Amino acid sequence: MQRAIESVGIPTILIAALPPVVRQNGSPRAVAPRVPMGANAGEPNNVEMQTGIVKDTLKQFEVLDSPGKIVPLPYEYLAKI
Amino acid sequence: MTLKKYDGLQSEIFVPITPKPVWAPVTKPLKEMNIAIATAAGVHLKSDKRFNLAGDTTYREIPWDTPSDELMVSHGGYDNSDVNKDINCMFPIDRLRELKDAGFIRGLAPIEYGFMGGGGDIEAFTDSTGPEIAQKLKAEDVDGVIMTAG
Repeated sequence: MQRAIESVGIPTILIAALPPVVRQNGSPRAVAPRVPMGANAGEPNNVEMQTGIVKDTLKQFEVLDSPGKIVPLPYEYLAKI
Repeated sequence: MTLKKYDGLQSEIFVPITPKPVWAPVTKPLKEMNIAIATAAGVHLKSDKRFNLAGDTTYREIPWDTPSDELMVSHGGYDNSDVNKDINCMFPIDRLRELKDAGFIRGLAPIEYGFMGGGGDIEAFTDSTGPEIAQKLKAEDVDGVIMTAG
């Protein structure tokens, strides 16, 4: 999906919980906060963390200049299972 | 020493190959960009048809101003408990609306897109669902897409 959108000329960035999968699938731009699958954009109801993740993700549009990078983001959410 | 070569020899074990890079350059600063969300997390309106949890290559359109309590997830491939508490975990629509109001981005695309990732008919996603969503985003003059998947 990301590659299809990128192919028509629209830049994309993916928030990933599983960076190795994203690398394998050829994501052009990705970030990886330390989150479990299912809370990629941050802990539920944690507005501060979600805002931080979304802002830092978008900022990478102005930073990344070549495909294939996965940028770690300094946020951590451990889900209590 | 010479190495023997056998044309066409390949491993019997499936080896995934990372596809060739794709890259659309960013052409304007963030505060002038219209951003869309596309998520593989199975997000849709509560009033919409649910995804078939056994595999589904359709997608749902989500208007940008939909209140977050009118959204839900149907996805068979991950633990939905966090996203059931707060849709913004996978679909940060409230956060993006706040960032639009703060002038961090110019705006949101009129329509965001939800589909159910996590495998299924990859060929259908690659050949039809993906290109269809991409064309719609292009028609709406979207400058950048933020995605959640993987």
